[in-house]
Amino acid sequence: MSLRVQYARPRSLDQAAELLGGLTSGAVIIAGGQELMPHLNYGRLAPSVLVDISNLNELRGIQATDSGVAIGALCVHRDIQHDALVSERAPLLAFAASQVGGGWQVQNRGTIGGNIVAMHPLYDIAPPLLALEATVEIRDQQDTRSTSLAALIADPAKQLGGAAVITQVLVPTMAAESGWAYEKLQLTAGSYGSANAAAVVTLDGNHKLASIRLVVGAVAEQPLDVSEQLGDLTGKDAETALAGVGSICEQAVTEPLSDQQGDGEYRRAMAGVIGRRAVAAAIARIMSPGEER
Amino acid sequence: MSENMEELLEDFIYWQARVNGRLQDAEIHPAMSLLDLLRDELRLTGTHMGCMTGHCGACTVLIDGKVAKSCITPAASVQGKSVTTLEGLASDGDPHPVQQAFAEESGFQCGYCAPGMVLTTAELLAKTTDPSDEEIQQALAGNLCRCTGYQSILRAVRKAAARLAD
Amino acid sequence: MADPTAAPYVGGKVANQSGAAVSSGQAKYTADFEFHGQLHAHIVRSPHAAADILGVDTSDALKVAGVVMAMDGREAAEHLDPIPHYIDAAVFGGRTTDVRCLALDAVRHYGQPVAVVVAADKRTAQYAASRVRVSYKRREAVVDAHDALKPDAPRVIPDWDANLIMQVPFIGGDAEQAFKDADKIVRTRINIHRQSTQPIETRVYNAVWDLQEQRITLYATAQNPHPLRYVLAKTLRMPENRVRIVAPTTGGAFGLKMHGHPEEALMCLLARLTGLPVKWVESREECLLVGGREQSHEVELALRKDGRILGLRDRFVANTGAPTACPGWGMAFLTGLTMPGPYDIANVDVLMSAAVTNKPPWNASRGYGKEATALALELSLDRAARELDMDPAELRCQNFVQPEDFPKKTPTGLILDSGDYGTTVRKTLEVIDYEGWRAKQAELRDAGRYLGIGIAYELTPEGGSLPGTMVAGYDSSTVQADPSGTITVITGVTNPGTGNPTGIAQIVADELGVPIDTIRVVQGDTETCPYGFGNYSGRSTIVGGGAAALAAQEIKEKVIKVAAGLMETTEDSIQIAGGLVTSSENPDARLSFADVCYAAYTRAYDVAACIEPPLQATRTFRPGLISHAPDEEGKINPYPSYSNAAYATVCEVDIETGKVTLLRFAVTHDCGKVINPILVEGQACGAIAFGVGGMLGEQILHDAEGHQLTNDFINYTMPRAADVPAIDVAHHDSPNPVTYMGMKGAGEAGVGGSAAAVVNAVNDALAPFGVEITDLPVSAPRVWAAIRAARAQPKRKVA
Repeated sequence: MSLRVQYARPRSLDQAAELLGGLTSGAVIIAGGQELMPHLNYGRLAPSVLVDISNLNELRGIQATDSGVAIGALCVHRDIQHDALVSERAPLLAFAASQVGGGWQVQNRGTIGGNIVAMHPLYDIAPPLLALEATVEIRDQQDTRSTSLAALIADPAKQLGGAAVITQVLVPTMAAESGWAYEKLQLTAGSYGSANAAAVVTLDGNHKLASIRLVVGAVAEQPLDVSEQLGDLTGKDAETALAGVGSICEQAVTEPLSDQQGDGEYRRAMAGVIGRRAVAAAIARIMSPGEER
Repeated sequence: MSENMEELLEDFIYWQARVNGRLQDAEIHPAMSLLDLLRDELRLTGTHMGCMTGHCGACTVLIDGKVAKSCITPAASVQGKSVTTLEGLASDGDPHPVQQAFAEESGFQCGYCAPGMVLTTAELLAKTTDPSDEEIQQALAGNLCRCTGYQSILRAVRKAAARLAD
Repeated sequence: MADPTAAPYVGGKVANQSGAAVSSGQAKYTADFEFHGQLHAHIVRSPHAAADILGVDTSDALKVAGVVMAMDGREAAEHLDPIPHYIDAAVFGGRTTDVRCLALDAVRHYGQPVAVVVAADKRTAQYAASRVRVSYKRREAVVDAHDALKPDAPRVIPDWDANLIMQVPFIGGDAEQAFKDADKIVRTRINIHRQSTQPIETRVYNAVWDLQEQRITLYATAQNPHPLRYVLAKTLRMPENRVRIVAPTTGGAFGLKMHGHPEEALMCLLARLTGLPVKWVESREECLLVGGREQSHEVELALRKDGRILGLRDRFVANTGAPTACPGWGMAFLTGLTMPGPYDIANVDVLMSAAVTNKPPWNASRGYGKEATALALELSLDRAARELDMDPAELRCQNFVQPEDFPKKTPTGLILDSGDYGTTVRKTLEVIDYEGWRAKQAELRDAGRYLGIGIAYELTPEGGSLPGTMVAGYDSSTVQADPSGTITVITGVTNPGTGNPTGIAQIVADELGVPIDTIRVVQGDTETCPYGFGNYSGRSTIVGGGAAALAAQEIKEKVIKVAAGLMETTEDSIQIAGGLVTSSENPDARLSFADVCYAAYTRAYDVAACIEPPLQATRTFRPGLISHAPDEEGKINPYPSYSNAAYATVCEVDIETGKVTLLRFAVTHDCGKVINPILVEGQACGAIAFGVGGMLGEQILHDAEGHQLTNDFINYTMPRAADVPAIDVAHHDSPNPVTYMGMKGAGEAGVGGSAAAVVNAVNDALAPFGVEITDLPVSAPRVWAAIRAARAQPKRKVA
């Protein structure tokens, strides 16, 4: 910990990238501050330089792309949940953004980029983005590149290092006929999730499962994408498929979290329950589209 | 690092923003929270410290009209913006209808949580004047009250809503 | 005296008078005070639960620019004596030890203050504190209370022969015989977990040294300013009349701001040494160190098969953490003393063991141990009802102390003032629609949904007084009618955020016959207020309000005398109402209250010669019923008032996740005369939120070495708006014969009753699985685990 913290507020993304590239270790990017400030307040984090990117307009805005929607890294949860384009093309994400904890205050300030970079196992944004197979655009001193969110989460040090900025999140448009759901189990209204799950499914004309994406979060250090394991369920009728979801989710939790949101056994079991409920809700959305969940 | 990059680095920030309608300035530490700036530098003590981790809501302010937790908002990031604290919600000396409803319904006991409760309600009722109880509870999710069991707070919100709907 | 029941304010829904200030951000809390030359302190705390301190090196901290002072425990001990105990166990024959502001040679708990740094700003102080180097030699910590009581356990206090503050039996009648006579014995083991009261305002102390007067003024989040002044004078080795405490608007207290905390005297010392104001604001992490309520009970009920309870046994152990000067450990004493609650059980054998461990210390926690009595009894009664296949309400009603029995002496020596417990229960069942929910429960069970209905009773002795301690049963108020006719009430009771000044103003307004907005209530300054004991034990309106009523009556007599002179009429004919003074004998003569007041001050040699000026009176209200003279069995009654309430709640349990959702809550409250339903219902609902939160979300955890794991509101999850269901509050007021207008305390009751109702509802919901949880809390993971365990067992009784 040091008393002295330097501060820089680059005026452009280029400048931010150059600055970050030139700084040695100890530089920390700050935007909404929702993740960083508690650590700074309690003196648990002592960066040598705070690089404030909160006024880089290049990182704002939500735009349509050919295949979906591009969300600027500085977009806050509240913007995302109320955005017409996101609601149309990726309603799962819009809904999940409304489930971010901390109330409206945090949803008004917390950014999608910050939520991703925090890599907090109990946060709400990564599971739906993984279910939607989102990619992130990363900028550093050398270049701009895209990588899947899955790859970023698997190895953040390699993808981001100390000198890169997430600039935007690219979310593919969900198939019009798909059903989706985001389920979150909170012990109380003020708790972080004990388990959460984002599901996207499609059914064929005979109500058989045609495709399924399911990511379970808050049960392990990283969100667990169980879509591949669920692959065998495709082709089965919805009810039969659903019956198989829970145990597959449970089996995927090899190293469960254990904290005040529940011990490992509980988390593993809840991965099954919440995973299954998410799929059930996603199917229900297709079967009875008019009904509010 | 190139020289012009070095020039970007500052030890202290000259800060300027509109607070409760008045242009204010201060020289601040880069890691300073908006809460500390308001309380310690500008002596606006109507915004309260409860946890410094963004969980209790006692430090709530409006930034450009939207609620935020000032304890986890870097002061530096509100440069040039407009901040309204509980002291600044009244207009021309008249209390905001939400403030009035909270006073009339005793929507508090110790009053320490008032910034979060009142300002979040103001934002809620700016969107709808007919919120359901569930919507009220959702809107207030970022705020803790340890005294009331929330019953009188809900009454105050409903009263303010009814008044604004008229 | 005016007929108080006919008066306009008392009993009315008068809004909390601080509403305008609070809702506009103008209320000034302790942290809002800042003085010229203000310095800030940061405390270095022990990372270990038990260790010897080999050395403290502050030199690196002192090198930081802006640091004014750094101090360790040895240096502090040169200036400071040990902190006098709020309730010294030695007074009652228990073990005691010196508690220092900064650890001297050893640390006894995680988070114990070891050193302090003072700097020009808080960021510098925090940084410099991180540069204080302390070398420790770790010792084996004892964390669990039952482990602590084993003979070979490491000693928390090396020179104690056991890790035990004291063991107290509470015995009445012949329990042994009762258990022999019983048709059925029901045993219940209840573990209550560690919780913390957590007001949203943390503790704050700001000490200002006055060089000219050689006087310290401490601006403090203090529930009990005058008693704290005594404690500081002793600790600081200063004359008591050179210590002043100012307790500004308080952001919730719940017992946590009762004194004995090391930082109180420490800030005063630092201000005296630096000559500058020194402020300390407790962080949330520090605040969460203060705990309470952790107790394990082994309750046995001796029952006749018709449901009559013949006898009660309870062996319980409290894990009070490390010794402290705060009054926390006394909670365990009160748990025992309050047995057998509202029940008429003649034969009682209770043994309390208050253990010390290397967990951080307790402080008083709303309910003050009486909530544990309710939990222990009410969970046991529900089990008994299940085993006897009786309705839980019926079982309770059958065993209550009956209305005609009051005053009722309990087997532990308490003298219950009044009540009608059976009616209170029945009213509650009606309010919540008990029968309707039972029908719904049956209907939903068929659909695989699990509703539960829980009821519980709580008896809450309030307004307590312990002999030989600063827990006093009386208090004083001054009422002054000013020359302009405004009324200043200055009282020794304080306001933790409950709104008691509004209640006191209502009482005075009615007594004097003046508009309430002419009254201002002043509290919380030892140099302004009459000597008083502040707030605890639901006492403030009983004794502060009662004293203000007596003083107001005296003022009114004087005003009437002067008015009679001015109006040339008889005293008996004078009436005062709405700030107007009239005479029934002379309808044309009307004076304003203010005119009479002015005359009382300015005409001391003619019309006001008949009174002793000024219009100021200080009176004390000392409620009866309290008896400190031991009876033939050596028992005392430390309480004047026994508020009580019945609680009922309906929950739904998600059996896949274990999550409990409360659908409805009802309470019928008997706090005697209700001065202001807004204030009383606010207290009741707030207490219910405590009970709900404590059972569903709140839990302070430590690891096996005694490190605290619950350090923030991510993990200590108190209820939010969505967690607390709609609460219906009903009143059933049986007046207390020994207090002003029949008041009983209203501030403390409800934590245990509501908690027990929640647990009983959960167990009711889970009855089909044979699940009964008495190892608390009933958080989702525990409920889930209990259901799973029950399902794994081949066959258990299905209710």
